[in-house]
Amino acid sequence: MTNPDWLADAARRSETQPWALGRVLANYRRVEQCTEEALQAELGCSRETLQWLALCRCPEGKAFADDASRIAKRFAVDLSALIRVLRHVQVMNALGSRGGSGDASRRDASSLQMAARDRTQDDPDDP
Amino acid sequence: MRYPSRTVASLLHERMLQRDPVATVDVLQSFMDPIRKALERRLSCSADDAHDSTIDALMSYLAAPEHFDASRGTSLGAYLTQAALKKAVDRWRKETARGQRELKFANVVELQARAPNDLMERYVEASQAVTRLAPPRMPERDWALLRDVLQGESSTQEMAVVLRLPLGPEHERRREVKRHRDRVMKRVARLGREDRDDES
Repeated sequence: MTNPDWLADAARRSETQPWALGRVLANYRRVEQCTEEALQAELGCSRETLQWLALCRCPEGKAFADDASRIAKRFAVDLSALIRVLRHVQVMNALGSRGGSGDASRRDASSLQMAARDRTQDDPDDP
Repeated sequence: MRYPSRTVASLLHERMLQRDPVATVDVLQSFMDPIRKALERRLSCSADDAHDSTIDALMSYLAAPEHFDASRGTSLGAYLTQAALKKAVDRWRKETARGQRELKFANVVELQARAPNDLMERYVEASQAVTRLAPPRMPERDWALLRDVLQGESSTQEMAVVLRLPLGPEHERRREVKRHRDRVMKRVARLGREDRDDES
């Protein structure tokens, strides 16, 4: 796949689009405080592939696994790593929408985050 | 770079409606370049404006593909090009309006601004006048108030402090400040007349 001159700009714009995977990837980088290079390493892909990924529609709902699989196949990225990233952001979003404050809420958030990590790391093939 | 055929475009739109996760990429790949070129050709706009307007239009479509009504007979390519043209025109209008606002502002500033040498002369005159009115010719308190007025101070609170007025209701302090200000200005006018009489 050739990389057009608009790719980087479009990928950047996707970070503010609610439908785009780019927004999820940007959220992941923000929450995990990781660089673009670190995310590339995590997904096992190049910078340009990461930009193409950003332009995909974010998998959701019942079609989550199928959608993630199609994206991973099209751009040859590690499916389990992609699902791990997507699930992680989903968990963080769910916690964010709960609102809540204080120690109990923070303990909740922390344990759910650990659970999300444990599950995906122990069983990468099971979304 | 050519537009995809009507059939290919129609299939792309179907995939968009079915929330195919990679259809978004195919839409961008199919339409980005032909629309961008069309804008540059039709509107003679800059490459940057054409690029931004095309991305704006495509992102809007990707966010809500159902807004395109294929039953109206318009092709997806024509619909997206039209949307991009509209974005480019909006962008041009905004830029033009901003330019005109800036031009108006510049004209107002230019008209209202004094010439630098005029400003300097006035500053020197004011400084000399204040020096001439310094104590013992004027009481220290009045002189402090005059300096504040000449420096553009207009706050009642600030002037009340300079005049060492006692705390009290706001309207009374304001009335007292005004009374002292008027008194000091009359005094300045009188001293100015005396100076002119002395010089002649």
